[in-house]
Amino acid sequence: MIVLSRIDNRLIHGQVIEAWLPHLRVRRLVVADDATAHDLMAQAAMGLAVPESVEVVHVAIDALDARALSADAVPTLILFRDVSGAVRARQHGLPDGRLTVGNVHAGPGRHAVSRSVFLTADEAAQLDALGASGMDVVIQAVPSEAPLKVPRAA
Amino acid sequence: MVGLVVASHGRLADELVATARQIVGDLPRVATLSVEPHSSPDEIRAQLKSAVKSVDDGEGVLVFADLIGGSPCTQSLSLCQQVRIEVLTGVNLPMLLKANSLRGQVSLVDLAHQLAQYGQKHITCASDALRARAPAA
Repeated sequence: MIVLSRIDNRLIHGQVIEAWLPHLRVRRLVVADDATAHDLMAQAAMGLAVPESVEVVHVAIDALDARALSADAVPTLILFRDVSGAVRARQHGLPDGRLTVGNVHAGPGRHAVSRSVFLTADEAAQLDALGASGMDVVIQAVPSEAPLKVPRAA
Repeated sequence: MVGLVVASHGRLADELVATARQIVGDLPRVATLSVEPHSSPDEIRAQLKSAVKSVDDGEGVLVFADLIGGSPCTQSLSLCQQVRIEVLTGVNLPMLLKANSLRGQVSLVDLAHQLAQYGQKHITCASDALRARAPAA
C-alpha cells in the first residue's frame, strides 16, 4: 500500500527518517532513483539511520513496480529525487494518491514556492499535469507543516 | 594537526564552534557548514569539500555531523573515498572540546574512535548522579 510519494532531492535524510516514517508508520521505504539504484556506497550512507523495522528498497525508476507495492498492506513511502522522476513513474503506472513536494533546491530559473521548494516553469507545469491526471499534489516539507497547493503554472 | 569541520542543519555548527571558543579561546583549523532548506545535495557536497580542504594540513580531517542519516552526515560519507576524513555524528560540545585538546597526540582514526565514546559518556542524567552521591535528606 503506497501511503505517500514524495519528491525530495535529498532522498533519505533527517526529515524523512525523523518525521515522515513515524508519522505514516512506514514499513517500506522505496528510493526510486536512477543515480543511486546501483551506487552501494550512497545506499549504505542513506540507510544508516533508517530503523530496522523499515525495509529499504532501491530501484531505478523504470524498474519501479507500483502495482506490486500497492498490492500488499505494507505502508510504503516512495521517494523521487526530482519532479521528472515522479512524472516518469506516473507514466510507468504510479497510481492516484498523494504526491508531496518536499525539497527541490534553489537554482537559476527556479522560483521559490516554499522555504525548501524552488520550481522551474516546466516543473510547475508538470506538477499541474500530475494534479490534473488525478494525483493529489501538495508542497509540504514535514508533516507538521500545512500542505500548500502547487501554484498554477504561469 | 587534524582539522575539524562541524556540519549541521541550520546555524548549530556556527554556534557550537562559537561556544567552544568562548570556553577554550582559540580553536585553530576549524571550519563550519550550515545546511539550509534551499541547499542542494551537490552544493552541500561542494561546500563540505572546500571546508575540509581549508583545514587539512595533511593529517586528515574529522567531520562532526549533527544527525546520523541527515544530509551533513550522508554528504560527508560520500566524500570518504576521495579525501582523508572520518565522520562522527551526534556532535556535542564535550566532544568538540576534547577533539581540540586531543588532536596532535593521536591519529585521525584513533581520534574519531575515542571521541565517539567520549561524546556518549558525557550524556548523562546528572541529577541522578547527584542523588546517588548526596546524603539522603
